[in-house]
Amino acid sequence: MSARIAVPVFPGTNSEDETLRLLRDCGGNAELVHWSQASNLAHYDAYVLAGGFAYEDRIRAGAIAAHDRMMDSVIEAAGSGKLVFGICNGAQILLEAGLVPGTGSIRRPTAAFTRNAPAPHFVCRHVYLKLAIEPARCAITAALPEDAIVPAWAAHAEGRLAATPEHLREIVAGGHLAFTYAHSTGAVDQAAIPNGSALGCAGLVNRAGNVLAIMPHPERDAWNFNHLDRREGDDVLATSGGSVLFRSFVQALASS
Amino acid sequence: MVNLRDEELQRIAQQLGRDPSVVELHAFDAAWSEHCSYKSSRRFLKNLPTSGSRVLLGPGEDAGILHLGTHDGERYAVVVAHESHNHPSQVVPFEGAATGIGGIVRDVLCMGAEVVAVADPLRFGRCDDLASHQSHIARAAVDGIGAYGNAIGVPNLAGDVYFEHGFDENCLVNVVALGVVNEKDVIHSYVPKGAEGWQIVLVGKATDPSGFGGASFSSLTLDARDAELNKGAVQVPDPFLKNVLMRASYRVFALLRERRIAAAFKDLGAGGIVGCSAEMTAHGGYGAQIELSRVNVAVEGIAPEVIAVGETQERMMWVAPLEFVPDLLRIYNEEFSLPEVAYNARAVVIGEVTAQQRYVLQYRERVVMDVESEFLTGTINDELPYTEKIYHGVSAQELPAVDIEGIFPRVLAHRDVCSREPLYRRYDSVVRGRTVLPRGAADAGVLAPVPGSRLGVALAVAGNPRYGRIDPAYAAEQAVLEAMRRVVAVGAHPIGLTDCLNFGNPRKAEQYGEFVAAIEALARAATELDLPFVSGNVSLYNEAATGRAIPPSAIVACIGSIADIANVITPGFKAAGSALLWVGSRELVGGGSVLAELLGHKGTLPHIEYDAERAALAIVRDGIARGVMRSCRVVADGGMLTAVARLAFDALLAGRKLGAEIDFGNPLCEAGGFVCEIGGDSGMDVTGTLQIGTTIDTPELVVNGTRFDVERLYETWSQPLAQLYP
Repeated sequence: MSARIAVPVFPGTNSEDETLRLLRDCGGNAELVHWSQASNLAHYDAYVLAGGFAYEDRIRAGAIAAHDRMMDSVIEAAGSGKLVFGICNGAQILLEAGLVPGTGSIRRPTAAFTRNAPAPHFVCRHVYLKLAIEPARCAITAALPEDAIVPAWAAHAEGRLAATPEHLREIVAGGHLAFTYAHSTGAVDQAAIPNGSALGCAGLVNRAGNVLAIMPHPERDAWNFNHLDRREGDDVLATSGGSVLFRSFVQALASS
Repeated sequence: MVNLRDEELQRIAQQLGRDPSVVELHAFDAAWSEHCSYKSSRRFLKNLPTSGSRVLLGPGEDAGILHLGTHDGERYAVVVAHESHNHPSQVVPFEGAATGIGGIVRDVLCMGAEVVAVADPLRFGRCDDLASHQSHIARAAVDGIGAYGNAIGVPNLAGDVYFEHGFDENCLVNVVALGVVNEKDVIHSYVPKGAEGWQIVLVGKATDPSGFGGASFSSLTLDARDAELNKGAVQVPDPFLKNVLMRASYRVFALLRERRIAAAFKDLGAGGIVGCSAEMTAHGGYGAQIELSRVNVAVEGIAPEVIAVGETQERMMWVAPLEFVPDLLRIYNEEFSLPEVAYNARAVVIGEVTAQQRYVLQYRERVVMDVESEFLTGTINDELPYTEKIYHGVSAQELPAVDIEGIFPRVLAHRDVCSREPLYRRYDSVVRGRTVLPRGAADAGVLAPVPGSRLGVALAVAGNPRYGRIDPAYAAEQAVLEAMRRVVAVGAHPIGLTDCLNFGNPRKAEQYGEFVAAIEALARAATELDLPFVSGNVSLYNEAATGRAIPPSAIVACIGSIADIANVITPGFKAAGSALLWVGSRELVGGGSVLAELLGHKGTLPHIEYDAERAALAIVRDGIARGVMRSCRVVADGGMLTAVARLAFDALLAGRKLGAEIDFGNPLCEAGGFVCEIGGDSGMDVTGTLQIGTTIDTPELVVNGTRFDVERLYETWSQPLAQLYP
């Protein structure tokens, strides 16, 4: 029996279906766990927190969901070394829960994904993630090549990493900056960053390397038919592009 | 405030044999409003073609249904609805536009479908002054659409926007929603035979005093002085609750499938509880008995007439057999815990279906309404006078010779031509991972709506107000043609249309005449192209206090089917050395074009020739079938050269530095047709097409000898709207 992956569904989650579908297409044994079944959540081996607007993003995106009882199970699992991967709203929840960068204590975050800048609006834009750590530094990225470039879609109003200068230094020094925004070539500049994020941050990892939070959605550029530049003859239903990150997650789970 | 006219009030009293009660008065006010009754449009709308081999359900219920294709032995259909939320958006643009999306999504959901896309044709006033009220509306409406669609997780796949002084006092916010359903699982909005004793279940948000008089309000002209007073008639959006309601409803659909139980499901829109329950039961040949005090309310002390016809958002109605009701209540109230998601939201039994065809409302066990169902829901007609010929004279002028070097950048930067990206990047167009061509990437948006299947669906909208100002009928015909061409240009097969007819005051013969002429024109175009209209909506009284009406705006959406998404035409030039063909109408006249406006020139409208249109479609489809169609764009706002530039921009964005050399008399004419990039020895029969140039391996457009840098043109084209939408 392969390891079981839970995709928790909070009130307001909206990306659960494609997240589940991609995990399965990458060989993962995944299922949705609805908030009314929160008590089942502890029995899983790994967790993927999907995108959406859990609890309407009230106060700040992820702030309420971080205190939901489903997160009690996720926080405990993270502490015991199980893999936890959050995307977009899932990443915001992991930050608000204090699991990443993990430099503070639980549910007392030292950083936030907050209002985009300079324009404080929702932005839906194709982007690239660049791996900014050694692949093996994070279990979930271990199967990626060094300096991996992963295509994805940014689709959020609150994706800008914000923290005090001191906490930003901790993020860098502790090797928590897992992904930055980049161009497809790997070049990094302001134009590549869709939201004014500090450090050009697109993703953070905790100290132990088992919890990863990324703002953009690789699962929305994950099948050949999603790519505008697909080549003639490609199987349109085959996974590619952003799916590499999900494959790496599933592989890490199999080998753990 | 009741807007029934004297003769209507008399008719009601005569039929009842007594004075109507307060509740009855408000119920008839809603039911007989223009918004609900289509009383001045019905007799013309029936001329639209609505049937065809693809049509599973034409106009009449909440949405139309078209056969899409077969996957794994199962037949799939697309469900489509098209509406306006113009008046609410003018008064409170964020909430008005957001509830527009909310309402259209429920229309599609209630057919038993999974909602997979929305689109938003928008018409705003001129926004040259960024601090003006028009600019505020243009920003707030877009933010409302984004806030709602993004939160419920439905991608925004298509849409358009125009900025015209004619919309300064009356913006248009049209909305389209698309769903997908297994054809076996369609749910209807009226009860079937044998429904006597079925329970009427209200689901969703607690009823509050918002949206009282909404249907009636939408059927009045807007007077700016009354705008404050009107705000109470606009509903309050709650996309968070809707997200949960949609998912809970999907669960109900699955259980109905599993148990093979029939039930009826309908959106509460105009006319509230009365409008919805009366139609659901009367159209099945039954009556209803409802106790209003059972309705879950947000505050105590709401008057029974407000509970009865108020238009609180995020509510739907099930009529279901007794044995299914406990599961229905459990799914919404416990499994999806509606009462914890929003204050007093829930599913609650409020009444039952009766054999007697009377519509009876009680409030605290006292009868407050008792009328014949048929009298309430039956058709009513207003035979109003109208002016027959509406044509705002255009002179037959030849276009002057143009200085292409000076004028082309101005065309690209024109408010009707420049990039819409600053606007639509506020919309999530890729949520749910099924997007093939996202909003703005091509002439139509494309989805793969059935996971694991190669089936695709394309969606595009059109409706050019520059034509509307000149000739409402011509504009309507062109709207059908342009929407259809857009779907064809991405490699889809057009299968059906929807329309929203946005016009002025039907009580003014000239404005009503524009409306009548436009419907005839839609019918002509759809018949010629053999495409059915399966859903639509009419929005009249788009007239300001000054008596100025909007440019006549027949807005059309076209749905296309794709058998295999591998054959979708991806954006942008693919290679140097391709032939560029202009396929279709290419008359050298400038009437209604952006060029004509910039030159202050009237010009003649391009002639519509359906044989040529059909031939153009055949050529484009042949090119796709042969695999030689490398890229394609429609010729629309900004003309042929704009289409060529867009193909170069698309290539640039994909990292391909390509350009084109063009040789053609006046490349800024907007006569229609397609620009196609055809590769190699195509073997195509290109009779009737014209080779206008070839692609080249430098990022330049060379037009009749004048040289443009593609990157600089891209800057010119991509910047203008970034001021309004930073």
